[in-house]
Formats: sequence, C-alpha cells, structure tokens
Amino acid sequence: MSFREKMAWISFVLLLLLTVAFAISHHFHPHDAQGHDVIDPAHMFFGILLAFVLLQVVLRVIIAIQAPKDARTPKDERERFIELRAARIGFYTLVVAELVAMALFHLHGRAFFLMSSVLLAIFVAWLVKLGTEIVLYRRGA
Amino acid sequence: MGDTRIDNTIRRLRFEHGEMTQQALAEHAGVTRQTINAIELGKYSPSLEVAFRIAAAFGTPLEQVFQYRKGGMKK
Repeated sequence: MSFREKMAWISFVLLLLLTVAFAISHHFHPHDAQGHDVIDPAHMFFGILLAFVLLQVVLRVIIAIQAPKDARTPKDERERFIELRAARIGFYTLVVAELVAMALFHLHGRAFFLMSSVLLAIFVAWLVKLGTEIVLYRRGA
Repeated sequence: MGDTRIDNTIRRLRFEHGEMTQQALAEHAGVTRQTINAIELGKYSPSLEVAFRIAAAFGTPLEQVFQYRKGGMKK
C-alpha cells in the first residue's frame, strides 16, 4: 500500500468516526431535569473536532516516521490525477448534499438544524472524496 | 481510468537491464513505485514527459517502450 493510500485511509476512517460521533452527540446529548443541555452541543462538537485533528496529526506522523522517504516524496502525476478525480466527485456530492440541507431547513426552519445539516453535508462530501481516492488507489488506476 | 490502449515492454526491458526493480525505475522516472506498476500493467497511461523519462532510463527510443494499439481496448 502506497504512502498516499495509507494517508487516505487514515483520513477516511477518522472522518467516518467524526461523522458518527457528530451525529450521536447531536441526537443523544445529555439533558438536565429541566431539559436543558448539560454540555453545550457546540462545545461537544469542537471537542470532537479537536480530537479528530490531534489523532490525524499523530497517526500521520507515525506513518511518516515509518516511511520517511515516501513522506518526503512529492505527489507524482498519477496521485495528483487520482486526487483531482476524487475532488470532482466530492464536489458534486457537496452540491447535492447542500441542496438537500437547504431543502430540509426550508421544511424545519431551525437555524441549528441548518448548521448541523450543512456540516454533515461537508463531512459526507469529504468522505466520498476520500473513498473515491481509496477505490482508485485499490484499482491501481 | 481502467485499461489503456497503450501496450508497453517495461517488464521485458527491466529484465534485460539486470532485473531493474520497479523502485529503481520509479526513481529514474520521478514517480512512485505504484505508478510504475500501474503503467506496467496497462492501468495508467503516463504523460509524455514520464514516458520519455522511462525510455531514457532504458536508453531506448520511446516507441520501443510504448506502442499504441489501434484495435479495441485490452481485455
């Protein structure tokens, strides 16, 4: 497995965990007796995001230490081509997901709901981009 | 991307050049070993620049390394 493919796998798995954690924290955040949030959902989200960034950095550093030569090598034309193809598919996913988010906001009319669905749309589009990269690397394209 | 219409003799040329490894050829061509593997298997068509670099690594003309197939796609 190439260095870039390993990086794509790390980002994909961590982003998937972030998306699941975001969805869970959004729906099952604890309330007190009066029904108020015990933890501010925004704080919870930024905590999860911070953990995501730190884990990503640590894992990337570990992979780079194991293969320092690969880490120093710039992307070649095939890797750039794979990234561009994946970015194109991710872009169309983002457009569709944002349109769905806006339509849902139109139905529900809550600003917090719009913020959450827009964030979720970004996560999903990024997951599609990374997933496409992994598939293209696996196919040897 | 899939299979391309371009055949190549990289595997044979590597063998004839003292069993040159894909990694060694990749370093000559300025690409990754995985890219050389994809080119060798006909899954990726390199740019002209990389194709010339590969040919230069073997000291042979480009057309001895890559051949365009006029018929259908490789099965």
